[in-house]
Amino acid sequence: MTARTFALGAALSFVAGAAFAETEITWWHAMSGQLGETVNQIAADFNASQDEYSIVPVFKGTYEETLTAGIAAFRAGEQPNIMQVFDAGAATVIAAQGATVPVQDLLSDNGYDFDINDYIAGVRYFYADADGKMIGMPFNSSTPILYYNQDALDAAGVTAPVTWEEFQTVTAPALKDAGYTPLSQSHMPWIFTENFFSRHNLQFATNNNGYDGADAQILINQPEIRDHFTAFKGWVDTGLAGYYGTGWGDNATPFENGEVAMWLGSSGSFGGLVQKVDFPFSATLLPYWEGVTTQPTQTFIGGAALFAMSGKSAEENAATAAFFSFLTSEDVQYQWHQSTGYVPITNAAYDTAKADGHYDRFPAAEVGIQQLSLEAGEWTRGYRMGFYVQIRDVMNREYGRIMTGETSVEDAFANIETEANALLARFAQTQN
Amino acid sequence: MTRKPFKWSVAMDHTILILGAIFMVGPVLLVFLTSSYDDIEIAKTGLQFGWGDKFVQNWNNALNETSGFTGTINGWVMLKNSFILGIGFALGKIVISMMAAYAIVYFRFRFAVPAFWVIFTTLLLPLEVRILPSYEITQQMGLVNTYTGLIIPLIASATGTFFFRQFFRSIPEELVEAARIDGAGPVKFFIDIIVPLSRTMIAAIFIIMFVYGWNQYLWPTLITTEEGLFTLVRGIKQIMFSFTDGNTIPEFGVAMALAILAMLPPVLIVIFFQSWFVKGLVDSDK
Amino acid sequence: MKRAGFASPWMPFLLLLPQLSIIVVFFYWPALEAIRTSFYLEDPFGFGSTFVGWENYWQLFSSSEYMRVARFTLVFTVLVTFLSLGLALLLAAKADKVIRGASTYKTLLMWVYAIAPPVAGFLGVMFTHQRFGQFTDLAAFFGYDYVVGVNFNDTAFAMILTAVWKQVPVNFIFFLSGLQSVPRAVQEAAMIDNRSSASRFWTVTFPLLAPTGFFLLITNITYALFDTFGIVDTIVRGEPGNNPMTLVYKVYVDGFRGSDLGGSSAQSVILMVLVLALTIFQFRLIDRRIHYT
Repeated sequence: MTARTFALGAALSFVAGAAFAETEITWWHAMSGQLGETVNQIAADFNASQDEYSIVPVFKGTYEETLTAGIAAFRAGEQPNIMQVFDAGAATVIAAQGATVPVQDLLSDNGYDFDINDYIAGVRYFYADADGKMIGMPFNSSTPILYYNQDALDAAGVTAPVTWEEFQTVTAPALKDAGYTPLSQSHMPWIFTENFFSRHNLQFATNNNGYDGADAQILINQPEIRDHFTAFKGWVDTGLAGYYGTGWGDNATPFENGEVAMWLGSSGSFGGLVQKVDFPFSATLLPYWEGVTTQPTQTFIGGAALFAMSGKSAEENAATAAFFSFLTSEDVQYQWHQSTGYVPITNAAYDTAKADGHYDRFPAAEVGIQQLSLEAGEWTRGYRMGFYVQIRDVMNREYGRIMTGETSVEDAFANIETEANALLARFAQTQN
Repeated sequence: MTRKPFKWSVAMDHTILILGAIFMVGPVLLVFLTSSYDDIEIAKTGLQFGWGDKFVQNWNNALNETSGFTGTINGWVMLKNSFILGIGFALGKIVISMMAAYAIVYFRFRFAVPAFWVIFTTLLLPLEVRILPSYEITQQMGLVNTYTGLIIPLIASATGTFFFRQFFRSIPEELVEAARIDGAGPVKFFIDIIVPLSRTMIAAIFIIMFVYGWNQYLWPTLITTEEGLFTLVRGIKQIMFSFTDGNTIPEFGVAMALAILAMLPPVLIVIFFQSWFVKGLVDSDK
Repeated sequence: MKRAGFASPWMPFLLLLPQLSIIVVFFYWPALEAIRTSFYLEDPFGFGSTFVGWENYWQLFSSSEYMRVARFTLVFTVLVTFLSLGLALLLAAKADKVIRGASTYKTLLMWVYAIAPPVAGFLGVMFTHQRFGQFTDLAAFFGYDYVVGVNFNDTAFAMILTAVWKQVPVNFIFFLSGLQSVPRAVQEAAMIDNRSSASRFWTVTFPLLAPTGFFLLITNITYALFDTFGIVDTIVRGEPGNNPMTLVYKVYVDGFRGSDLGGSSAQSVILMVLVLALTIFQFRLIDRRIHYT
C-alpha cells in the first residue's frame, strides 16, 4: 500500500516535476449501474480537482451488504474512510457513538464553514442526532413522488390526483376505463408507511420517533394507515391498482412499458426514466388522504448518507472533509441532481438548478425538492429505529400477505407491531 | 417375431430419456441462444428460441468491456480469477488432505484417532452457517482482498481427508511392509508408491474440487471488494443487481453471455474427463 | 490405521500441521465464536453487548416467522429430495436399459452438475419471470395466473424446480453406477423369474439400489438445506418480503443483512445441531452399508 502510494507519487513527481504525497482515502458505496458510474465520475473529478488527496470508491453490493461489510471491517479495524449507509441502517450506525465522526464536526474541525440551514429543509435532520447535529452527510437523497404517463391521463381525460379520495373516485376509474392499470408502487415500507406518516404528520414511534433513545416503540398499528391499506387492497382487487411483489423493478417495469398509468417511485428514479420510457411523463406530489388531514406536510428523505468512519488519521480525515466539501459544492450537487434525479442537498445547488432553467426543461425533476420543502410538522423529520432492516422485512412480508389475501389488514398490523417492538427491545439491549 | 412388442418399450425408454435430456439441456441452450439478442428485445420477451444478430457484440462486451472505477474488471479478468480460485482450491485441498490422511493411516501415534475426529467434525458445519465469524477472522488476519483469503478458509473442511483416508486404507498392507523391508522411509514410500498409486484418484478429486471451488458464491462475494479480484460466479450477483435496482435497462445480452461463460470451463472439464469424474464422485462417498 | 505403520515421533504431526492449523483457525474458532455470540445481544459495531443467556434461542422458538421458515425448509427439503431422486432414478433406469446412444444420454444428463447454484438460480429467474418467463406463459396457457414474487407458493415452485434441476445429475450418476454394478447373474436370474420389467425392477433392482439410495438421501437433504443458498438468493433477489426462504438463508438475512449477530448466531448453532444429528445418522448408514457389500 505504502509502496504503491510511493510509486504513484514518484510517477506523478516525474510527470509533474514536483513531489506529492497524496493521502488516499476509500469510499464504500452501494450504487450500481448508471449511478455507480456517476459516483466514479465524481471521485475522478475530485481527484483531478486537487493533488493533495485521492479517493477510491468501491462498490460493495446492496445497501445492506455495504453496511454489514463496513461493520465487520470496523470490528477488524479496517474500516473505509467513508461509508454509505441507507435510511433504514441509519439507526445502527448513529447509535454506535464512536463509530463515526459527525460530519458537522469533521467539516468545522478542518476549517470548512458548516451551517445546517444551507441544506434544504427536508434533508437537514434525517441523519442528525437528537440535538440536531448532522452526523451523516446526506448523499443520494430522494423522496417518494407520483410519476404519471401523460398519454394515459390524456386518454382518460383526467389530471394527476392530489388526494387519494380523488384517485379513488375520479382518476382511477377513468384510467381503468381507458384500458390502463391506474397505479403501482415500488416500496411499501418506504412510500406507504414511513412517508405516509410524514405526509399526514402522524407520530411513527415513541421517544420522538425514536430520536431520543433506542428503547422506542413503533406506533404503526393506527387506524389511518390500516384504512390506507384496506383501500389499496380494494383497489388492487378491483383493478384500480397493480401489485407486483416486493421487488422495486417488478413494480416499475409495467409503468415503463406503458401498462400502468401512474407509479409511486423515488424522485431519484427520474434520471433512469428519462432514458427508458418513450412516452411523455411527469410527476407530482405524493397524494394524501383528505379525510386524515387537510394540511398535508412534507416528506423526509430516503436514499442514503455518507458517514465518516472514526479511527482514521488526521490527514485522512482532512481528505474526507475536503471530499465532503467538494461533494456539497453547487456544481457537483447540480451535476449529481441532473444526471441521477436525486435531489440537490443544498439551497445553493437548488438555486443553481433553477437559474440554469433545469426545471423549465424537466418540471418533474423539481417535484422531489418541492415536496421536501413543504410545511414541516412535528413528525416530519424522520424516524430512528434499530434493527430497522428486519422491521422493514417484517412489513414487506405482512404487506405481501395482505395483498395475496393470506391475512387481514388488522392481523397484519398487529403482527408488525408485535414483531417490530420485539426487535426494538432486542436492539435496545445491544446498546448497554 | 418377438421384436415388435419389445420395440414399444424401447421407444418409450428413449422418449423418457430425450425428455429428460431436454429438461436438463434446454434451459442452458436457450440462454446461449439469447446471448445473441439485443437487450431491449430480451427485456420485452425474455429468453429467445432463435438466433439474433448481437452475438458478437454481446460476447465482446462480456469479455472485453471494462467497468468499475478502476476499469480493471472485464470478462477475462473474472475468468482468470475463477481459474485461480478453482485450481488453487483443488490443489490446496489435495495437498493438505493427502498429507493429513497419510499421517492418520500410515503412522502409529497416539494422536491419530483424535486427529481424525478433529478433522472429521468439520464436515458438520458448512461455511454458510459460520459465515459471519469466518469473515471477521479472515478480516482480522488481513486476508480480505487476497487470493489467500479467498481460497484458504474454503479449504477448512474434511471432505478430501476423509476420501484419501478411505483410499489409503484400501491399499494392500503388503506394500508398506515390502517397502520397510527395502528400507524405504515414510517420505520415499509416499512419493514412490502412494502418489503414483493415487494418480487416478487425485485426478478425480481434482475435477470435483475444481468444480466446487469455481462455483463458490457467497464467500467470494464477501471477501473480495477489489474489482480486480471478482470471479465469474460473483459477477452473476452484479447481473442480478440490474434486475433489482430498476435504474437502467439490464444488459441482458451480456448477462446471458456471462452466465454461459461462468459455466463453460467446469462443464467442459466434467464432460471431457467424465470417467474420472464419475469414478471420483462415486468412490469418494463410499 | 494400518497395522504396519511407520513410527516417527514428529513426522505425523508435521504432516497434519497444515490441515489442522487451517481447521483450527477457519473452522473451530469461528464455530466457537458463533456459539459464544449466540448468548449475547451485541451492538453490531462492537460497542455494547448484553449477556442474555438462552434468550436468543427462546425468541426463535417462539417466533412464528422462524417456525414458518423451518416448516418451509422441511417441505422444500422433502420435495427437492424426492423429486430429484425420483427423476434421477427413472432416467438412470432407462439409461441403463437402452443400448443405442447410452453414452450420449449419460453425458447430456450429467453435465448440469458443473453449473453453479447462483447461475442455476439465474436461469430459474429468467424462466419464471413475471413478465416474460416461459414457465409463466405456460401456466397462463393452462389458465393459471403464475406470479413469482407475489404468490408464496409460486415463488416456492420456482425454487424447487431450479433446485431439482441442479440436483438430478448427481443422483443420476450414482444411480447409474449402482445399476451398472448389479451383477449379471442376478439380472439373468431375475429375467427368468420375472417377466414384467416393472416388477423385476421393484423386486430385484430396487432393493439392490437401496444402499445407494439411503446414502443419496442424506446427501440430498444436506444439499437442499445448505447448497441451495445461491438459488434462493438469486430467486428472492435480496428482498425476502413474503417470499419463501430456507433456514440457512435466514441466518444470512438476519445476521449478514440485518446485523442481528446474537439472533443469527443462535440460528447457526441450531443448524449445527441439526447437521450433527444428520451426520450421526449417516455414519450409522455407512456402517450398515459396509456390512452390506
